[in-house]
Amino acid sequence: MRLYDIVVNRIREIQELSTDKEPVTNLSTSATLAAEITLISTVLIAAIMLRKINNILMIMVVLGLFIALIVAMPIMPRLRKEQSDSFNSMVFYVLLALTIIITLFYWGVRNV
Amino acid sequence: MNPLIPIMVILPITCALLLNLIHTKERSVKILAIIVGIALPVIPLLANYGIHYFGGYSPLIDNPQMAQGLPDMITQSALNLFHPAITYSFTSAQKIFVFILGLIAFLAIFTSLSEIKKASGVYAFLMFMGTAAVTAILLSDDIFNLYVFFEIAALSQVGIILASRTEKSYETALKYLFLGSIAAPMLLLGIGFLLGLTGNVNITDIIYSINTGLVDPQNPVLLLACGLIFFGWLYGSGLPPFHSIKSAVYSKALPHGAALLQAFSVFTFVGLGIIILRIFSFLPFTQVAIIVVSLLAMVLGITMALMQSDFKRMIGYLAVGELGYIGIGLGLGTALGITAGLFQAVNEAIITAFIFIGFGTILYKTGITDTNKLGGLMVENPKVALLVMLSGFAMAGVPPFNAFQSKLQLVQASITAGLPELGIIMVLLSIVTFMTFMKAFYTIYLRPKPSELEIKNKEIPWATIISLVVLLLICLILGLFPHIVTGQLEQLAQGLI
Repeated sequence: MRLYDIVVNRIREIQELSTDKEPVTNLSTSATLAAEITLISTVLIAAIMLRKINNILMIMVVLGLFIALIVAMPIMPRLRKEQSDSFNSMVFYVLLALTIIITLFYWGVRNV
Repeated sequence: MNPLIPIMVILPITCALLLNLIHTKERSVKILAIIVGIALPVIPLLANYGIHYFGGYSPLIDNPQMAQGLPDMITQSALNLFHPAITYSFTSAQKIFVFILGLIAFLAIFTSLSEIKKASGVYAFLMFMGTAAVTAILLSDDIFNLYVFFEIAALSQVGIILASRTEKSYETALKYLFLGSIAAPMLLLGIGFLLGLTGNVNITDIIYSINTGLVDPQNPVLLLACGLIFFGWLYGSGLPPFHSIKSAVYSKALPHGAALLQAFSVFTFVGLGIIILRIFSFLPFTQVAIIVVSLLAMVLGITMALMQSDFKRMIGYLAVGELGYIGIGLGLGTALGITAGLFQAVNEAIITAFIFIGFGTILYKTGITDTNKLGGLMVENPKVALLVMLSGFAMAGVPPFNAFQSKLQLVQASITAGLPELGIIMVLLSIVTFMTFMKAFYTIYLRPKPSELEIKNKEIPWATIISLVVLLLICLILGLFPHIVTGQLEQLAQGLI
């Protein structure tokens, strides 16, 4: 119940900051919780694939991610805010992605 | 030479230009659009497999007459094999892709002509122009020609959103255009680097140059070109970081327009994705990058869909999330994985069009897309509600629909490739997709009707119902007989590994 209240409060906080005037309903809170669990479980399962590189690295990353994600909960309302229709944030992430891709394609090809 | 190959592109372009000229004559617009719309899926079925050289300039090795009298430094070198003309290649895989794209284009145009009060020649022009551009992307073996059509497809998409005239459609179209002005020049720069290194824009010739050592495969400029083309691919298909704008694009278009726009994204994804795999398959990191971006698309797309209360935006995010499944298949790099990924692309294009047109009936009857303001629509039209429910089942991968087969094959491919984690994630996200859809279905159809909701007293057009039934039948046929498609795609998959 405590987690549910935290999620409701965080959705309210974010909606007050944005121009979005949607009501915080039982349905939207449940959807946020479901999305939260999906995100955390998917990230942790994906991190297990690091076993292809090194088993110890995989264990360290999975444990680290698990602790970080639990501490950072709830993540979805913040993620939703980051993925808003704001043009500034879209351009920021596009340029960030371009930088990462170009860097990794040079470094990654020579090291993976 | 097969004249039907270029006609797949030339016919919709000619029709688009004619529609623009006669845009005020409603009856003529309707007749021309329907006739050419029917021809779009029929031509790929009639065309023979083969290669078309524009201008008739085949490689010298296939054209001894032209090679006569030329010095040995040309006829005895790689120049003898190179393709001087813009080349279109039509194989069994292209047949399936162009047929499905043509069919979706026809159904979208057919539905739009019946749902819009006054048929718009400009709107139909944009739909045909986009279809022609994406068909060219699928057929072209010339990377610069592909870029030209990539830009035409992007502009057509912007035009379709502008012509939809929904709330904030102008703002979204401009944002998409501006982001395109970052991504598309990067793609062109990547193509320019490839041209600079290999002296060629023909994809087969570029691969030849890399494989035979004419170009150093570890050349940093080649790696940069790969990164830039990869970035352009993300924009064209709507993968992260372009997932937000792509889902906004779908949600601001009219439902029939969105059905076509998502097909453009899926087939641009496939067309460019295949080219990236063909040219850069010697770099194992390319496959890793494809898998990482696809995973991101799946997780962000599907979780964000769950958070939406606007049903058009929800489907938009789901469409982006489903692209991830295709990418996983391509990224696995095995014959089974690539076949399953391409099969998923065909299925996704059909199912998302089915969902967009199905949910479009709600917009048609109420003019509302916010699920908080909807409810009780099951009583209004239970048959359409059933069709919409089945479209959601198909997207989530419920048997006996087509996505069940492709998702099952993807899970099998991931296990065979030694990455069962990907299979678990795909199953998990399919369940969440189903949950997302059922949340929307419950709020729109099953819960009591809000007292302030006004339902327009007009029948859903028969053209819309026909489109939904046709799409449902295709989902069922491909679900029961998947080899109809997978048999055609295996050849391409074998060639890519």
